[in-house]
Amino acid sequence: MRRKRSVGQIMGRAGIRIPLILWTIAVLYPIIWMFIGSFKSNGEIYANPWGMPDQFNFDNFVQAWTDYSIDTSVFNSLIVTVLGALLTLVLAIPTAYAIERLRFRGSHLLFTVYIAAMMIPMVLGWIPLFFLLQQFNLLDNIYGLAMVYAVSQLPFTIFVLTSFMSTIPKSLEESASMDGLSPYGVLLKIITPLSMSGIITVTIMNTIQFWNEYFMALIFLQTEGNYTLALAIDYISSEAEYTNAWGTLFASLTIAIVPVIILYAIFQQRIAKGMTEGAIKG
Amino acid sequence: MVQSKKQKYTFLAFCLIPTFIMFSIFTLYPLFSGLYYSFFEWSGSSQDKTFIGFDNYIELFNDDIIPQTIYHDYFLVAAKVVGIMVLALFFAVALTQLKIKEAPFYRIVFFFPNIMSVVVIGILWAFIYNPSMGLVNSGLEAIGLESWTRAWLGDEDWALPSLILPSVWAGIGLFMLMLMGGIANVSKSYYEAAEIDGANEWQQFWKVTLPLVWPQIKISILYIVITTLNGSFIIVQVMTGGGPNNSTHVMGSYLYQQAFQQYNFGYGATIGVMILILSLFTVMILQFLMRRERVEY
Repeated sequence: MRRKRSVGQIMGRAGIRIPLILWTIAVLYPIIWMFIGSFKSNGEIYANPWGMPDQFNFDNFVQAWTDYSIDTSVFNSLIVTVLGALLTLVLAIPTAYAIERLRFRGSHLLFTVYIAAMMIPMVLGWIPLFFLLQQFNLLDNIYGLAMVYAVSQLPFTIFVLTSFMSTIPKSLEESASMDGLSPYGVLLKIITPLSMSGIITVTIMNTIQFWNEYFMALIFLQTEGNYTLALAIDYISSEAEYTNAWGTLFASLTIAIVPVIILYAIFQQRIAKGMTEGAIKG
Repeated sequence: MVQSKKQKYTFLAFCLIPTFIMFSIFTLYPLFSGLYYSFFEWSGSSQDKTFIGFDNYIELFNDDIIPQTIYHDYFLVAAKVVGIMVLALFFAVALTQLKIKEAPFYRIVFFFPNIMSVVVIGILWAFIYNPSMGLVNSGLEAIGLESWTRAWLGDEDWALPSLILPSVWAGIGLFMLMLMGGIANVSKSYYEAAEIDGANEWQQFWKVTLPLVWPQIKISILYIVITTLNGSFIIVQVMTGGGPNNSTHVMGSYLYQQAFQQYNFGYGATIGVMILILSLFTVMILQFLMRRERVEY
């Protein structure tokens, strides 16, 4: 059904763009400004906090590296993120497969227990967890933190993987086990490769989650040498009130956000889809 | 299939038990033991843990700060629900119904803050609110409203409302996408029928879009409420630490202060139990209030 647009409608269509453009500026401006700030000297930030620098210089990044040893924090964050994401998969894939495909008594209950954990405020559990980690000698330890991270993302990961595995045709498993493949083989050589799309989606989201995480790191890590990037930034930020090292602070924020931007640029659709579906079904 | 019963159970155990043990140690045990800790007075060392029954709960009811933290939490919940839902719904309708060519660009941009770290968001916005260099005060000065400038996060009356903008800013994209998914599922024929009946775009929104995306709206509201009650303390901790003078403390940040800064671990656990009960209770009430039959035309 086509008809001529009235003048009012054309105006309306232009008008609708105004709020969209304003919100785009509201989202992008602070981020772009943070990038620019990381190339400005402190003097320039004070004199003209919202303008462009006279010349781009990398002193802030050098300072973040040397004065605040942010390289250690980046390295710690990398270890926690990669180990956490891998451990999540190792723990979640077999359970998701068993819940989805091997009908057993209590499988529904088990699934419900995992899913219910997504709704529970974990802050209550963090106090006992603190002392538990202390007993295991895993307090103030990035490997302990990676383990805590992995288990914290288990419910979400199991949830996403079961729904992906339910789309794999059953006949594939059956014919493989007819050919003499053990159930372990079926899981490793049939199911895992066929759910790769789900595994990738959930791993990207876990990776971003672990890279960004702040509060558990704040509670479970104590010495500066073990700080993850989020804690290092928080530390630089609280120092900046006295040292006024704003440029260094912006540089460290930039270091934290660039990997996320890169992941988002590559996997934008997967991330958006994974997060909306996780929220809708959960 | 050639497989004995024993083999089958061994495989099942292999799949389930290691994962469940890890989950029990790091999730189930801490939750239940948090409940147990709430009956003790405990400063963290193993010797001086004393059972005090319901004393922590009595203290909770007599603590003047607790009602404030609850109020602050629900203030943020209400502000975020209204702010996020109005804007997300507006953007979702604009990007799906109005055939804007560059819609994918807006979608990608608006979603990005959802995957930013709360630390980055909090610090960025703390700088935007900075009294001497921040964007807000510079902007007000530029348009001649010097009298409105203030130390936003340092002002007892303005610190909490100032936290709304970053929370909405960070949250909109996800809910916009959820609502867009709902709108995309509404069949075009409803709009055509409405148009033939002479309904304008505004009426179409109220009579067609809104009832049919109600399930997505409901889930979005629930999701905002749950994530705010369970996680608002993170942005509070980063931006204000609960200050000035407790004016931004929410339940979670007060728990952190009591347990991990003042070493009242028993009392902290009691606050945790309160958070658990309030958040479950709120979700149940909301689900009851929003139980509206799905509309089918």
